Amino acid sequence: MLEKLSHILFSSRLLLPDLLFGVVFLAIVATIAFSQKLDVERTYRLFNMLIITVLISSGLVFYALFEFYKQDFESVSELFGQLIYLDSISLFFKIIISIASLAVLIHVWVLGYKVVGEFYAIFMALVWGLFIMTMTTNWLMLYVSLELVSICSYILVVFNKEKDNSEAGIKYLLFGATSSAIMLYGISLLYGMTGTLNFVGQEFATFLSQNPTWIVQIAVFMTIGGLLFKLSAVPFHSWTPDVYEATPTPIVAFLSIAPKAAVILVLIRLFSSLSIDFRMIMAIIIMASITIGNFSALWQTNTKRMLGYSTIAHAGFMLVGLLATNPIGIQSTIFYITTYLFITLAAFLLIDLMALKTESYELESLRGLGQQNTFLGLAAVIIMIALVGLPPTVGFTGKLLLFTALWESYQSSGSNMLLVVLIFGLLNTAISIFYYINIPYYMIFKEPKIGVRYYPIGFIRNGFLLIFLFFIIYLFLSPSGLINLIESLKLA
Amino acid sequence: MNNFLLSALIFLPIAGSVVVLFLPSTFRDSFRWISLIVSVINLLNILTLYNNFDRQVSNYQFVEQHEWIRMSLGNLGVLSIDYLLGVDGINMPMVLLSGIILLIGSISSFTIEYRQKAYHSLYLLLSGSIIGCFVSIDFFLFFLFFEFMLLPMYFLIGIWGSEHREYAAIKFFIYTLVGSILILIVMIGLSMSVKDPFFSQEMGRTVHTFDFRQLTDFNNFIPHSILHPYEKQMIFGVPARLFAFILLIIGFGIKLPSVPFHTWLPDAHVEAPTPVSVVLAGILLKVGAYGFIRIAYGFFPDIAYQFTYIVAGAGVISIIYGALNALAQEDLKKMIAYSSISHMGFVLLGLASLTLEGVNGAIYQMFGHGLVSAMLFLVAGVIYDRTYNRLIKNFRGLSSAMPYFTLAVAVAFFGALGLPTLPGFMGEFFTILGGFQSEILPNWVSMLAMLGIVLSAAYFLWTLQRMFFGTFWTNSNQEGKMQDLDFREIVMLYSLSAFSIIIGIFPSLIFDISGVSVKAFLNGF
Repeated sequence: MLEKLSHILFSSRLLLPDLLFGVVFLAIVATIAFSQKLDVERTYRLFNMLIITVLISSGLVFYALFEFYKQDFESVSELFGQLIYLDSISLFFKIIISIASLAVLIHVWVLGYKVVGEFYAIFMALVWGLFIMTMTTNWLMLYVSLELVSICSYILVVFNKEKDNSEAGIKYLLFGATSSAIMLYGISLLYGMTGTLNFVGQEFATFLSQNPTWIVQIAVFMTIGGLLFKLSAVPFHSWTPDVYEATPTPIVAFLSIAPKAAVILVLIRLFSSLSIDFRMIMAIIIMASITIGNFSALWQTNTKRMLGYSTIAHAGFMLVGLLATNPIGIQSTIFYITTYLFITLAAFLLIDLMALKTESYELESLRGLGQQNTFLGLAAVIIMIALVGLPPTVGFTGKLLLFTALWESYQSSGSNMLLVVLIFGLLNTAISIFYYINIPYYMIFKEPKIGVRYYPIGFIRNGFLLIFLFFIIYLFLSPSGLINLIESLKLA
Repeated sequence: MNNFLLSALIFLPIAGSVVVLFLPSTFRDSFRWISLIVSVINLLNILTLYNNFDRQVSNYQFVEQHEWIRMSLGNLGVLSIDYLLGVDGINMPMVLLSGIILLIGSISSFTIEYRQKAYHSLYLLLSGSIIGCFVSIDFFLFFLFFEFMLLPMYFLIGIWGSEHREYAAIKFFIYTLVGSILILIVMIGLSMSVKDPFFSQEMGRTVHTFDFRQLTDFNNFIPHSILHPYEKQMIFGVPARLFAFILLIIGFGIKLPSVPFHTWLPDAHVEAPTPVSVVLAGILLKVGAYGFIRIAYGFFPDIAYQFTYIVAGAGVISIIYGALNALAQEDLKKMIAYSSISHMGFVLLGLASLTLEGVNGAIYQMFGHGLVSAMLFLVAGVIYDRTYNRLIKNFRGLSSAMPYFTLAVAVAFFGALGLPTLPGFMGEFFTILGGFQSEILPNWVSMLAMLGIVLSAAYFLWTLQRMFFGTFWTNSNQEGKMQDLDFREIVMLYSLSAFSIIIGIFPSLIFDISGVSVKAFLNGF
């Protein structure tokens, strides 16, 4: 009994930064609930500062822990009785999620969004859920954290309380609930087959291989359904364009990267230990995601909807590294996610900056904006070619590494399907240039409707966008720092 | 070995581009001068390079090597990408051509009035990128510049072009991008199949490299890799190396352009503004041909030897089909565009013959055609600048109003159709000689190519006669606008004419440089 207690205390000590998030969440909720006459402006600024401080400090703590864990390669902490594993790769992903959250909060602040206090509270809980999701290897814990993330994101999506916003929220909720239900069913099947809830253990793999392959494949496919929903991969992708179109942009920016990062980590953990050959289904998911994402985006006239469909295509690309079941496949997926962080946050920031003056997210409203403001035009070109994956942006390096991993896997296994996915994925890059270049095309080529006025944005907003652009090009010119960091990550 | 001449050639224009971008717009008229000065300095550097080029050596000279990316692939080795530049006999003429054409282009860019800052910034970016493409000997770096060229070109055509410019620009971009992606597939496959012998021993692991010098050596291939030259691996029932070669042919054939992948060229050339057309026809097409020689034939000589008849066939079809199309055109610029397709077919024929005369002739034809097509597009630009009209039937008897212009036009047209003492003759002569000498190609292939010479004489002389001889008349009373050349145009056209006559009479200026390297290149076959 005493042993269990000391184990729990030990585990809590290592998870202190995460628990801090929970405490802050409760503190904000209590403050809002129990104070009547609030000076709204000052309180929200206070919340903002508090959260940014918490994020930065926890980010630094994670980094310190990360350095500590890196030196001792075999060091993995089993916390809370094998429910949670704290290792270097989960710390890396926590840092990524912290950076995303920080960037989104700065986005909200810099663009002057009016948010209620509960926004901060729920955002904290969402990030906390993501942190737990990066650490877990137990089906039950995964489901709990996934639900925490899902419920918080359902609430965040409907913050604007407008009509199409609520419609998007309901769609999100219904699709999400269905996917979670399918996931639970899959988990129950897997538990029935293997008798254990820990999906990286030896028992799981052994018992799984004793069952007929087709039933295992169906069960695993259903299980990752809940995860693919968060990733916006086919066939769980239908919510993406509608939700992306109607939700306030900073929240969309966050949803487009942070849940994806956590889900990819879970998938990496799962597929590293799976003993069956899941590649056929994975290849079909990848090709379908890339095709549907790219071809649907060609017809879009709303920039946010177009980015939603492009997210579906990118989800397909992220899974390519998992299809190549070698270590460099996993490393290239992590590299792709890290660079996608910068690119997608920059893309949504750009769209929001443009919407400041044009008051609309339609492509037509972007006419001539690049001529009025050269920096925005240049930024649009760089971000859009990063999304396509052309040099000299880091999008190209990410895709190059993914397809190198896939080629290597093809060379060692000789399976023709991998080559098909490779050629398919690369040719789709050419298709995607057409819709991505539409944004700079409208901005630079078309004449503005009411003469040419010079439209300056603030220095802070320019600077914020510039940080992302700097990373996009810098990481192309010298990726070795990031690559070395990723190579040192070890799975539990 | 690490002198920085080649890096200067690339980074001076790029630095110039950044400078132009950050200067305030009040400097309106000085942007064109910045562009001109940068191009002049670049040309002087290239002439220094030309003088110091050792003509007896077939290896790469002026090599610069800096370590760039080292990525560990676990137990599969290390991926190594270097910043690697060098010139040998095959790309030296191309670098020289780039210097000349980019200078002519920047003189011609003085006519651009609209948004000069953006134009000159993009033009300098394009310059740096094209030269980078020619001097890179690391496949990744080559590919980086090869793809990056597309972006400034897209904007240059799409913003400063004529009526259907946006359609032409996006067609150009997507079409050539598909080609680039096919090349990317082969690039990934090759680098994964080759290991660098020196670094692998040094580091104790397999070092995958993109270095051109290592990729040509068959001993460097890793056993059981897909593209291994001796083990015949199959993909979908087709030998893997043949698969890669076909992808490369399609990829570079889109850029060259060879029939049937040529359909972007008439649109892009016609809609682009004059200086951009000059650069497009003068050097961009040569990048495709250079890729053919260096990469398709250089890295896959075994497959190339067996399947060179495909390339020769594409060449001959380009010659005849391009010429027939040119004969049918009413728009002057479109006619010149199709004649470009036709003359690049000679390059393919010369290359496919795999003889010393043929390949040397192909390189000479690339150089000569670059000069001549630059002149042709400048000619079309002179007419378009004055009247915004390019149709042949709208002009007659221009020689009486514009005698200096007619002289330049005559040199250009005769140069293109292959009059001796002008570059077209030497290029066509040597490529067809190579065709006849070739052990692989049958004689009738070269005879069909000669038919192309007759056809090019037909359309050029007919155009000359229709537009320049007879009584002076223009459609819709524009005779007043047809003034003779001004100083800038005289400088451009006459310096190009003089230089092409010199090249035509002294072809050794090019053959001396390419000779030894081509000999080494053909040793692999």
